[in-house]
Amino acid sequence: MGINFSEVNFSYQAPRKRRAVVYTLKDINLEIKDKDEFVAIVGHTGSGKSTLVQLMNALLLPHSGKLEIFGTEVNKKVTLKPIRKRVGLVFQFPEYQIFEETVLKDIAFGPKNFGLADPEGRAREVADIMGISDLLERSPFTLSGGQLRKVAISGILASDPDILILDEPTVGLDPFTKSELLGLLKRLNEEYGKSIIVITHDMGVVSGYAKRVIVLKEGRIVFDGDKKSLFKKESLLEEYDLDYPETVRILKAVKERFHVDIDVNQHSIQDAYEEILKAFGGGHEH
Amino acid sequence: MNTNLVFGQYYHVDSWLHRLDPRTKLLGTLILIVTLFLLDTILSIAVAFVATLLLILSSRIPFSKFLRSLKTMTTLLLITVLFQLFFNRGNLLAEFAFTLTTVNLAVIVGVFVLFFLSKKVIRSHRFFLFLILVVFAFFLQAVLKSGKVIANYSLAIYEEGLFTSLKIVLRIITLLLISSLLTLTTKPADVNMGMEKLAKPLKFIGVKVSILSMMISIALRFIPTLINEAGRILKAQASRGVDFKEGRFMQKVTQIISLLVPMFVISYRRAYELADAMEARGYIPDAERTSISLLKFKASDYLTLIFTLLVFGGIIALKVIDYAV
Repeated sequence: MGINFSEVNFSYQAPRKRRAVVYTLKDINLEIKDKDEFVAIVGHTGSGKSTLVQLMNALLLPHSGKLEIFGTEVNKKVTLKPIRKRVGLVFQFPEYQIFEETVLKDIAFGPKNFGLADPEGRAREVADIMGISDLLERSPFTLSGGQLRKVAISGILASDPDILILDEPTVGLDPFTKSELLGLLKRLNEEYGKSIIVITHDMGVVSGYAKRVIVLKEGRIVFDGDKKSLFKKESLLEEYDLDYPETVRILKAVKERFHVDIDVNQHSIQDAYEEILKAFGGGHEH
Repeated sequence: MNTNLVFGQYYHVDSWLHRLDPRTKLLGTLILIVTLFLLDTILSIAVAFVATLLLILSSRIPFSKFLRSLKTMTTLLLITVLFQLFFNRGNLLAEFAFTLTTVNLAVIVGVFVLFFLSKKVIRSHRFFLFLILVVFAFFLQAVLKSGKVIANYSLAIYEEGLFTSLKIVLRIITLLLISSLLTLTTKPADVNMGMEKLAKPLKFIGVKVSILSMMISIALRFIPTLINEAGRILKAQASRGVDFKEGRFMQKVTQIISLLVPMFVISYRRAYELADAMEARGYIPDAERTSISLLKFKASDYLTLIFTLLVFGGIIALKVIDYAV
């Protein structure tokens, strides 16, 4: 179950004779479970991240290869609506898709389309989880950017997808709203067992939240594994066009400056702090 | 999205038509269209049609591009032909007698019900199929005459009807080809610039030509952007379970609203942002503006205009001396 890519190629061009097709995604092999995953998809602009997630939601169909989403092989013939119900995709700047008069109605729009029972009840429930219950009767066009983003994400969550995909959810948000949103995603992942897939350019998001990282480069998956083994690599920038997260960078600086032997591959402030204490022999101070 | 619209579909090749000044092409197109409507005989319209084909050939644009603009008009053309064919009286060419009976009515209704039910099975060439069925329906009324007679009627085709419809079809096709020739060989921005220059004298009667042309060029500039945005919103709503292909009427309405409202919001936002950006860069609506590329008439422009005017003048002269053209 979940999402299975095997040797999938994708191109935005229609297949043509004579002329060679430029593939946006090449030879994708990937498995995403329908539970407990927290995947970060990273890569340079134009590496095919957004295309990859649109395939996961069956908004785009593979050119060749096999793509199975919850046991259904995706092609032109199958009805895609049930797939879209189980795999929710939140686009970049999702606030533009909001159109109803009230926040409640807009959140209930998805479940209503999918024919789920009691759409408004679901909307209220999701709004409660997302912490926007007080906004339900307001018009979406009076809300701030951060609030709108939450409403848009609620709109997808209300259909109760097993896998939730977000394309750069934190872009353009202030630091407070950003960490609040990421905290919510973490909660959805841990408490509700939902699989979360996040496209991001922010190594802090990868480092602080993701369990698994997929690196795309020029349409190919060049890395798929846990974050520690990714950030262990020495030539991250040259190889993948990626930077190290802040904790790693600080620990590296400490290591170089004081010539101490520490493991720089730490991904929370607490871990980094303890690593520094350990290095300077102050681990038992408190 | 309708990709059939030739509007703004400039096709880039190098030909003498592409190199002409947009003002020449605008004026020339206008004169040719007026000329086309001065022509009355089928022979002269046919000559105009062939001349247009030659122009198209010289533009080096593949003919398929022109066919696209014709395709959108097929329905209109067909309806015109049918009306002209049956409603012009004169010399009788042929008459067909039809009888509507209970039996053939039942068969016809059955066939059309089947046609509409087959919507999901047969997806392509439906319009074509529909036409065949219409012809079949009349054929049936002429042949299968058993059952209780409901009505007897006949359709007659007259010489006049045949000629008028032929003339109209040729004229509309030529008209479409000429105007597509303009849009295919000229970039929208150039068309706009040419229009601005041509409309300059209007400022003496208080029309703000430069503002109007700025509005048109902004509108043209944002068409592709808005199409992209619409594509994005369609996808975003599709992942919220909107199925733009299926659904009953009321669902269709909600679906369209779910596209339109965001499009309006985005357009307004863009308009405000653009206005700010223009002001920040010193745009003053009424100020005299210069252009980065200057239009200049070349020898070929003068020749083209003189030739078009000669054709136009010639037709008028022939009309004046009562020669049927």
